[in-house]
Amino acid sequence: MPVEDKSKSLLPFLSSPKLLSDESEAEFQSGLQSLLSELDNPSPLAVALVSQLNECLWWIRRHTVDKELLLHEAMARLLSREGSNWMGSGNSKLSVALEHYLDGSADKDQAALIGEALSEANLTLADLRARAFKDAARHIKMVDDLIHRQHQTMRHLQRSIDSIDYKSRLIKRMDLELAALESKQPMKGVLSLDDKPS
Amino acid sequence: MTINHRRSLANRCNALKSTGPRSVSGKRASSQNSRKHGLNSAPDFEPSSEYRALVDLIAEEGFSAFACADIASSLLNYRRVMDAYYDTYTSPEPVDEFLRDANVKASNPIFSELLSPSGSEPQDMREMAAFFASMQRQERRKGGPVSRRSADTHKLMRYQRNAIARLSRAVRQG
Repeated sequence: MPVEDKSKSLLPFLSSPKLLSDESEAEFQSGLQSLLSELDNPSPLAVALVSQLNECLWWIRRHTVDKELLLHEAMARLLSREGSNWMGSGNSKLSVALEHYLDGSADKDQAALIGEALSEANLTLADLRARAFKDAARHIKMVDDLIHRQHQTMRHLQRSIDSIDYKSRLIKRMDLELAALESKQPMKGVLSLDDKPS
Repeated sequence: MTINHRRSLANRCNALKSTGPRSVSGKRASSQNSRKHGLNSAPDFEPSSEYRALVDLIAEEGFSAFACADIASSLLNYRRVMDAYYDTYTSPEPVDEFLRDANVKASNPIFSELLSPSGSEPQDMREMAAFFASMQRQERRKGGPVSRRSADTHKLMRYQRNAIARLSRAVRQG
């Protein structure tokens, strides 16, 4: 069975990939296919484990993005706390503006809002980022733990895949040895029949 | 002070007077309030069609019947944990913007107005304001949506660790 068919036949057991709205399924599937292509004739169980491994890689990606988002969140919080925007809806407006500003996609109003908030707080962007890092350290540490956990999970999965691979090779080798023994056995029988008792 | 602010505050004060559900169905529903992800309960995968199909697939690879059952249930258990992980990640506890941004000091006149019909003392008003302030501190400490989802997902790490260890053991010993 081709690799692609195997992974498709297993999908119902592993539940189809759960992606966020801004994530591409094609990218997810291409990652899975490239991992599967590294295996030589993978068994269904190996395919199942490789799809879990691909999901771990996906989670690492998400958590890495989260680390940056945590910083942005803390920066917006600090800015609104330092300035006069703490009350009302200023907080969410400021965080959206900051998000666009850091992406480089902010419009004039948003850039002006950020510039005003920074000058009001008497901070530069670098100062704000440094302070935000300190403020969000607890949550960033949590995300680091999550990434570390995914790495550990991948190590477990890799060991399991290796063990399946080794097992299948062992079975193949034993089959070959058995076949060799069987092919030798009848020859021995023929010889013994032809031999005259001494 | 806007009408919305006044109304929200009044709703919250009234909610504090609630003595909980009275009907059987209400009690049954509220008994599940503290249920977060259900990962502490032991699942039984054997009756499921996924389990049987997975066992059949694994059996083709030369594993023993016991190993097949162990690997299939471990794999489904791992999937269960990862599905809960995804659900927790995508639906974190919502930010209560009203509570986070409310000015507790400025709300004192509303507290006294709300409490005065019941003949409450000024001490009651101070207690209510202190209670709101502590709730606000808790809300602010939780941070924004990204902080919340990180904190919530972090709580599921141990389930993932146990599930993958079980799966890995089942495959390697099978």
